[in-house]
Formats: sequence, structure tokens, C-alpha cells
Amino acid sequence: MDENRLQAKAPLGGRDRQIGRARLRERDELSLVSLAIPLGGEAELGDALKQAYGLDMPDPRRGRCKGDIWALRTGHDQMLLIFPHPTPDAGVHVNARLSTRAYVTDQTDGWVKLLLSGAAGLDALERLCPLDLELAAFPVGASARTVMEHLGVILLRLEQDRFLLLSARSSAESFWDAVAMSCEFVVD
Amino acid sequence: MTQPFRLSGGQIDRSRLVRFQWNDRWMSGHPGDTLASALMANGVRLVGRSFKYHRPRGIFSAGTEEPNALVQLRKGAAQEPNTRATTVELFDGLYATSQNHRGSLEWDLLAINDLLAPLLSAGFYYKTFMWPAKLWEKLYEPAIRSAAGLGRLSERPDPDCYVHGFLHCDLLVIGGGPAGLAAALAAGRAGLRVIVADEDFRLGGRLNSDREEVDGQPGTDWAKAAVAELIAMPRVRVMPRSTVFGAFDHGIYGALERMTDHLRQSDGKPRQVAWRIYAKRALLAAGATERAIAFGNNDRPGIMLAGAVRSYVNRFGAAPGRRVAVFANNDDGLRTADDLRAAGIEVASVLDARTGAAIVDTRGRKALRQIILADGTRIDADCLAVSGGWSPNVHLTCHQRGRPVWSDRISGFVPGGVLPPGLSVTGAANGTMTLGAALREGHVEGSRLAAELGQRPAKGGPPVAADASFAVTPIWHVGASRARSWVDLQNDVTTKDVTQAYQEGFRAVEHVKRYTTLGMATDQGRTSGLLGLGVLADLSGKPVAEIGTTMFRPPYTPVAIGAFAGRARGKAYRATRLTPSHDWATETGASFTEAGLWMRAQWFARDGEAGWRDSVDREVMMTRRSVGVCDVSTLGKIDIQGRDSAEFLNRVYANAFLKLPVGRVRYGLMLREDGFVYDDGTTARLAQTHFVMTTTTANAAGVLRHLEFARQCLWPDLDVHLISTTDSWAQFAVAGPNARALVSRVVDDLDLSNDAFPFMACAECTVFGGTPARLFRISFSGELAYEVAVPARFGDAMMRALMQVGAAFDAVAYGVEALGVMRIEKGHAAGGELNGQTTARMLGLGAMVSDRKDAIGGTLSRRPEMQAEAGLRLMGFRPVDRTQNLMAGAHFLTQGAATDTAHDQGWLSSVAWSPELGHSIGLGFLLNGENRLGERLRAYNPLRGQDILVEVCSPHHLDPEGVRQRG
Amino acid sequence: MIINHPLLGPRDAAEFIYKGDASLIDRPDGMAEGALAAFDAYLHLRDNPAGLHRELWYHEQGDRSWLVVTRNTLTHEITRVELARDVARAQGRGR
Repeated sequence: MDENRLQAKAPLGGRDRQIGRARLRERDELSLVSLAIPLGGEAELGDALKQAYGLDMPDPRRGRCKGDIWALRTGHDQMLLIFPHPTPDAGVHVNARLSTRAYVTDQTDGWVKLLLSGAAGLDALERLCPLDLELAAFPVGASARTVMEHLGVILLRLEQDRFLLLSARSSAESFWDAVAMSCEFVVD
Repeated sequence: MTQPFRLSGGQIDRSRLVRFQWNDRWMSGHPGDTLASALMANGVRLVGRSFKYHRPRGIFSAGTEEPNALVQLRKGAAQEPNTRATTVELFDGLYATSQNHRGSLEWDLLAINDLLAPLLSAGFYYKTFMWPAKLWEKLYEPAIRSAAGLGRLSERPDPDCYVHGFLHCDLLVIGGGPAGLAAALAAGRAGLRVIVADEDFRLGGRLNSDREEVDGQPGTDWAKAAVAELIAMPRVRVMPRSTVFGAFDHGIYGALERMTDHLRQSDGKPRQVAWRIYAKRALLAAGATERAIAFGNNDRPGIMLAGAVRSYVNRFGAAPGRRVAVFANNDDGLRTADDLRAAGIEVASVLDARTGAAIVDTRGRKALRQIILADGTRIDADCLAVSGGWSPNVHLTCHQRGRPVWSDRISGFVPGGVLPPGLSVTGAANGTMTLGAALREGHVEGSRLAAELGQRPAKGGPPVAADASFAVTPIWHVGASRARSWVDLQNDVTTKDVTQAYQEGFRAVEHVKRYTTLGMATDQGRTSGLLGLGVLADLSGKPVAEIGTTMFRPPYTPVAIGAFAGRARGKAYRATRLTPSHDWATETGASFTEAGLWMRAQWFARDGEAGWRDSVDREVMMTRRSVGVCDVSTLGKIDIQGRDSAEFLNRVYANAFLKLPVGRVRYGLMLREDGFVYDDGTTARLAQTHFVMTTTTANAAGVLRHLEFARQCLWPDLDVHLISTTDSWAQFAVAGPNARALVSRVVDDLDLSNDAFPFMACAECTVFGGTPARLFRISFSGELAYEVAVPARFGDAMMRALMQVGAAFDAVAYGVEALGVMRIEKGHAAGGELNGQTTARMLGLGAMVSDRKDAIGGTLSRRPEMQAEAGLRLMGFRPVDRTQNLMAGAHFLTQGAATDTAHDQGWLSSVAWSPELGHSIGLGFLLNGENRLGERLRAYNPLRGQDILVEVCSPHHLDPEGVRQRG
Repeated sequence: MIINHPLLGPRDAAEFIYKGDASLIDRPDGMAEGALAAFDAYLHLRDNPAGLHRELWYHEQGDRSWLVVTRNTLTHEITRVELARDVARAQGRGR
């Protein structure tokens, strides 16, 4: 019955553009799974996370990385796992490995995931992001949730000049326009 | 001969010529010129006409304080009025024209206003143009309007783009003159992250205009080297052409950077950037602004500030005249004579006001010819350099709670009161008026701030310079003048105006300002404020210190509205949210409507349909006859998990939720704490500790906020967790008699019989051979209906597949318009009824509010007033004459009652045309409604001119027993 | 305006939404005697200080935490920022 199967569609169709000295591309192969930490269960979840993924609990301002999986702290009792996983069962996988230690919600489909890289990436973010992104203040691995052009964004610094930007799927085109325009506005 | 008034020297690049147009004449200048200096070098004396009296005016200053040389830049859509020629950086192809004259600049027809001066004094518009009253609209106002203002807008959309930006630093140095540069060097060398912002395109401040030495070299060379060193520091950002225009709370500063105004083409780059600078500390090194002295006819072209004369001679190599006189009340101003002689310009006379020399009048209407002293002496001169002293630029210190204080030492106001936290002041802005002292002070302050922020100050002492005398005696105006003496050049305010205001009883400085408009022009009284205070001081016999000064507010200099707007124009004005089926809907020819940020399909017009009613009627009929599909993804979805989820829901919903079984959905009524209805939706229990709540589209964010408040602030020890899944799931309503048949062909392996999957059941399942999905049997339309949800990535495919499978049933896609018609036919409350002013009881849902638990809103919903027996009640309405159409917003009146609010019975909240019933129907609120079935009332809508008879009926216009949805 | 979030550091106020007085944490017991009067006071009676004010802000565009911010209404200085859940627990709120 494979021909009956529904085809998946990425929010921006895998768009990839070089804009001046910055590059912006969609990373739709990433899955996002939110973990809510049960009341009083942080230690246990920490153990489970370590055991299942080799990850320590992330801090409010700094994510943890092991291999190609990232863990970000998105709230007092909430975290987000980010890892490549193309099928719509990322939540099921995580649930299986973390058992009852966390309340799992697959968030993959709710977000558009953009990778901003290149020499002008930081200059573009200067026109978009209210946070202090100097390397000392926002090192590699730092993560934050903030607002850019009125859209909520989760920001993760993968390398000095590489940022992962997550924003709501329904406003994906508007978010792309906002970031792309910022790249265009950089004066060489 | 081109540029007849060009001198040698100056910081201009003589190797290149720049061609520009002034009033359609081509002229030449050099890179490094401003428009003003180039005009001066070309011998242009007359540059504008004054605001009220249309008097000929010339260049007065060399900076942002310019009140006279306001020009119109550019042609076409980018045309910009009221630009100060003194700050416009000259570039090849620049186009500028003079403004505020009818006819040519030379022969301005409105110059007649000068003869009418006695009629146009302070506050004239409060006393004139009164009679006859009927001429006001027809004659007076249009005449005043066409004469008012200075320049003209293009009235076309601004073709440039603008953007906002965000910068962070340890120290923001505001001003790149000697004090600012010394401070920036000290701080930068100590390792601080520094931003130096200067409004000029060349940093250095007065160093570029005066012939003073720093560290044994010309000041301008020292400045150039300092800037080069700062630029080379990796943690220092030098921002020329950037005006810090406002000091806001918590160390946030607004700065406007001009990116392309000095270039011929913007190449699509933003013209200006409005930066928000987050600074741990800020140092105001904005220098000081010179003021003049008022005397008879002191506004002629050629009468300039002495410091500006030095700027033109030293920095721009432009001679303001061939025979220049100097008039000053201080040592600094008098030194202008030395600079003139050094440049080979004849000095006509040096007049020290402190020794009694006084100018009472001048001659030369379009260009100064002669000055006349009090003792009758006449001196020929084509330029007069005037200095009344320097006023520290304290403006930013006043943007919060600062109040400047008077300093007798400098005869000016210095920063005082409570400064914005984190802001300190140095150099001339702080009243430190000599070069050596300013450099020392800046250096010390920069080092101190570095230490305060935990960095060790660098070794080395301050830059060294002399401290020339600046001794000043406060002389504001020459009392012996008989002719009009100008105080505010831009708004044409004279000493007579200030005197008149005082005599009419406007004595407080704030009143004088507003009555005379002194200081209210685009220059915010930079060169005039203190002159006005001086006149007031003389009139009242009080010292200036006691008179006080008016406040300064952001922005420091005018900022284009476009810069504040940034990208918020057109498509980028706000974000757009698209549903998962948006592309399919577009292909199918849907008409869209905005629902907040969402674009929702309103109806799907087909060929041959005359208008939207045809489409909507068809969608409703086909759905109720067979099956319809509607994208309902926009409704808020909140995933709720945790051991205490049920308990939490039981406290936020008015109706009971503790015992909702797994696999069931329940309607949830959410009240505000004041007892009014806030939102409604359905909540499904997918597992013991897993629920999914839906909200209305409009309240999705608000409900999540409300729930998080309850979770964190009211009951922090409940184990319950929330996350929005609105965007994660694409959700489709499938409604109509054939809904079950259609859904059966879509859902894998699920018994959909009425027993196995009854009304209000839910399940996790798969569709189309394995795609994860959720199925909810809920109905907004009143038909047999389901909502199918799939992960949003499959939303587009799902819509297409549903319609393809649905073709066998003549399935229609329906939009929000048909959705609305159907729910009104069924009597379901929605936006019009849930407007925050209605209660559960009014909606007929009073029984749902449990009084056996403490849920949000419960207590105050039991207020006696809210429980009144004969209160407003949601009812149905239809026109007595079935051919008439109801209008929402109409109010009900009993027949025969007076037509006034005292007899108001209620109102119509939602109306629609029912295709099934063949007439207009409505829902509305009526006093004691449930006991008035069948009654005939007036539906009165005076705004839209309607007054018809309606009859009261059940709000459930169709299928009142709800048989269809339970089948 | 900048709010110094206890976990995240200084953030622009644009990331937050203001709700009102921190007294909103002290929700009365709806089933107790005198609940009607208590809720009326809870919702409608407020002090209006010229000076320090404890107020609730929601970090909607951040970590979605509720904060109790102590702000001086005259000078705008913020002297204290606490997690609202900590304040609530300290005030005896739990389940």
C-alpha cells in the first residue's frame, strides 16, 4: 500500500540560498522532541538521559551535545532533544528509551529549522536578534529562546559562525524572509 | 571662476571634484565638504527663507544646530524636506533645492509677511482669524495651511528601506570629539568592549575646526590617529554618521546610523539603521553648542556663529566672506579673528561686548553689507562672526529625570539632577570648556569606567593640550536695539515676542516656550534657548538660574519615521501564518481571510458562481447533504501531560473533568476569574496522564499564558506540563451524513461504528497505510463529524488525499464562512458570543458551571447580579418577513416602547443566511429570552438604517435534538 | 527596559508580557466562607504605589516562566527578579 502513503512536505521545501557572505538553508531532516521533567524527577531523568544518550542535563543557557544529538533547556522543567531523524516517529523512539522518566511530546512538525552560516551570519543576526552574541557571552553550545521580528525563535550556536534557528512552522515563510532580509542588509 | 570663496587648507580632498546641483544650477565641491561648505565656497549667501516672515537667510552654523539652511534634498519619492545643509555630506550628483518660498528664493512672494510682522507676533493665531467664523474653514485655514510648514513631502511611499539593529557593549561613548576620543582610547586600551558614536562623518569634534594642538601635533591629525587606533582594536566599534538620539531605561540607547545618505546609490541596502544599544555604561561626550547674541536685524545672511566661521575656514577651506567682523562676549569667540587672519581673510573689526561694544542694527537684506554700533559707527562687512558663549549639550541627561543646573562659571546649564543610571558626562558637555582639561577628563573617566567594570586601566597619561581662556560674561541681547532682534531663528521668534508673552502673563519658562514657540522648531532651540531665558531674566529681574530651562526629550535630532518603522512595511509588517493546506487551497482558487496572523480559506469559488453567497450556500448544502472537509488547524492545541493533569483541568474548566475517560473528548468551558466566559474548546483524554486541549484560534496564546500562570503561580506543586502543538498537527473537520463513510476509507483498522466510536470519542490511529494520526468525533457544524489530525508535514498530502477519496461522495472543501453559517444554524457560540462580556448563564451553559469545586471563575460567576433570573439569554432570531436580512449589532426593542437605551432588550451577535431554511437567521442575547419564545420584537440598527421585526426562537435553528451528530 | 532573569540573565522587555500586581498569586479559596468578598478584593482592589511595586511578568518569548519583578514606578529601577513559582511556594502555595 506504499503508493497510498502520504508524502511529507518540508515547510520550505529544503530551501538553500547563498545571500552575500551568508548561507541560509533548511535542515528539515532534524527531529525535535520535547521532554517535560516530572515534578521532583530531575535527577532520575538526568540518569536516564545519561544512560540512553550519554548526555548530561542541559543548563538554561548552554546545551549539551553527544554525537549528532543536542539537548537544550527550554524551560525550568522542559528540554528539547534535537537529532537527525527523518520519519515521524521520533517521539516514539525517545519515549522508548526514556521510559517513564519524562513526558514526551514530538515537536518536529511544529517548527521550521534553519541553519545560518558564513562570515556575514553574525552581522545578519545583529539586525535581527536582541541577544548579545559575542563569543564570550554566547559561546559554542550556547542556546537561547528569544524573539526576532516578533517571531519566537530558539537559537543554538553550533560553531563560531554556524547557528541553528528554530521558529514556528506556520510562519516559516515570514521567518525565512526576516532572516534572508537581514543577510541582504549586511553592508560589506 | 568656480568656487570663488575657496581657501587653501582644510580636510577636503582637492584631488577630486564633486559636482552637485543647487536650485538647478550645477556647482563643484570636494569630498569632505558638506553641502553648506560647498555652497559657501561657491559664494552662495542666500540659502532659505524664514518660517513666518520669509526673511532671506544664510548659513548660520556648521552642525546639527543649524536653524536657517534647511534644504530639500533629492527629487521624486525620496525627496526629503528640512534637511540641514550643514550636515549633508557632499557626493557626486547630489540634488538640493531651497524651500519655504513662493516663487524663487531670490524673489519670494510671501516676503510680504515681513511687512505684516506686527500682526504675526507671538500667539497671533489665538487672537486673529476669528471673524467672520464661517470664513475659517473656507479661507483662513486653507491659507494658513498652505503657508505653514517649511519643506514639502513627496507624498509618495518612501522608496528606501530601513532596518533595526541590536548592539551590546561595556561602554558607549557618545561623541567622538577630544574628550570622547580620550575616553574611548583609555577604555579600549584597558580591554573594554567600546562603541564610539559620532553624528559627523569625520570624528574629532572641534579638533577639526580649531587650530589647537594635541600632543604636539595639529588636533585634527591627532584625532585621525586616535580613530585609526580605535578601529584597529578588535573590541571597539567606531560608528561615524551615527547620532545617539535617546537615553532609555536600563542602559538602552537609541542610535540612528546613516548608511547611504552620503552615497549616490543605496544598492538596496537600508538607508538608515536604528540601533538599540545595550550599554553597561555610557559616557556623554557630546560637546557644546555655541549661541549667538540678539541685536537688531541679527538674522541676515552672513551673520554666523563664530565657531562655525572657524569650522568653514579651518576644516572646509571655505571663506564665509571677504571682510569679516567679530562680536563676542567671551574669549573663545574673539579668537576667531586670529583664525581669519591666518587664512588671509580681512578682519573688519573685533567687538568685545564685555567692554561696551554693542551692535544695534545691520544692513543688507539678501547679504550682510554693514553693521551699525550703538554709538552710531558703521562698519562695512560681508560676514559677522557672533559668539554669546557655549551651551553644554546636556540633552541626553534630561531624557529620564535629569534636570540641568545653572553654572555661573560658564554662563550655561550643566548636567544636574538624577542622570540616567550608568551615564556619566565628560568634556564640554560637562562644562569642561578647554581642550587640555577635556582631554584629561575624558582619559580619567575612561580609565575609571574600565576599573569599575573589572578591567585594569592601561598605562600612560592623557593626551596633552593647552587650556586657552574661555572667560565669558552673560550678555544675551543688546538692549539698545530698536529693530527686531531674533532669538529663535528657525521659528522666527524675536525679543519682542518674548517681551509680549511676559507682558501678557506667560512668565513660566514652559509657558513662554509654548506661547512664542521659542525652541519648538526642528533644532529644539539649540542656539536659541538660552537667549530666550536671558531676555526673561532681564524682564523679570531674576537670575537665569532661577528661571530654569525647559526639558529636552528624545530624539536629540529629527529621526525619519521610516527609521523607527524599520522593516515593518508591506509584507514584512507582520508575520503571516499559513495552514498546512494553504497551497492546495490556493490552487483550488480559495478566497482567503485574515484571522489574526493566519490566512484561512473563506470559501472556494467555482466557475459560474456569481458571488460569495453562491459559493458559501453550496458548501453548506453539500456538507449537510453529503460531506464537507475543512482545515481547522488554526485552532489552538495544547498538549497536557503529568500525574495531576486531570486535577489541573478540573480547576481551569468550569465543568467537571476529573472523570473524563481515556478515549473520550469533552467540551470545556473556561471562565476568567471574574466569572465571565473566556474561551471554550474540547479536551481529549488520550491516556491517563495525557490530554490534548483545543482553544479558539484567537485565544490560543492567551489560554496557554493563562494556564501557565495557574500552573506556576497558583498551584506550583501539581505535576502538570504544557506545550503548544498548534503548528505540529494538521487538523481537518470531515462533516456530513457521509462523514463516517469517508473517514472509514482513510483511517486504518479502526471500528468506526456508532457503538465502537460514539459521539465525543477519540483515538490515536494511523491513516493511509501507516501515517500516525489522531481521530476525534466532535462536531461544530452539528452534522455527523470527525476531526482527523496528522503531523503537519503530511497536512498538504492529507488534504489532497481526503478530497480524492471524497470525490466518490461529491465531497466539498468548505471555508470559514460556511463553517460560520453551520454553527449559527446549530446555535453554537463563537467569537460574537464569546466576546468577554458574556457569562455561562447568558450562553445557556449555566448548569455546566460546577459549584462543587473551586475552579477559576466559579466564585465570581455566582455573583447575585450574574445569576439574575430575567437576565440576558442566548436565543435564536429570524425575520418575521422572511425576505429581509438580519444585521448583526442590531438591538432589540419591544414594539411600542420608546427607542432609547433605557428600553434596550438585547442585541444580535451573529447572523447568517441559512440555505437549508431559505432565510436569514441570527443568534443574540435577549433579556429573559428563554421565556419569550415566539415574541416579535424590533431589531433596530440606526447605524446601518435598519428597523425590522424579528421573532424569538430557539438558538438551535436546525436539528434541535442534535440527532445528526450522534448518529 | 531590561529584566534580569534569574536563570537566563538580562533580557529585553520585548520578550515579556505584563500581567499585574504580584498579589494575584494569593488566590483565595473559592470554597471557603466569604469567598465572594475575598475574590472581589483579589481582583479589583489595588494599591498604586509611587515607588516599589511587585508585579508579574511572563517570559512568553523566552522560557515561559512567570517572574515576580520588583520595580520602582518612579525611577523604573528593577531591584529584584524572582521566579514566581518560588515566590508562590514561599507564600504557601503548593497543590
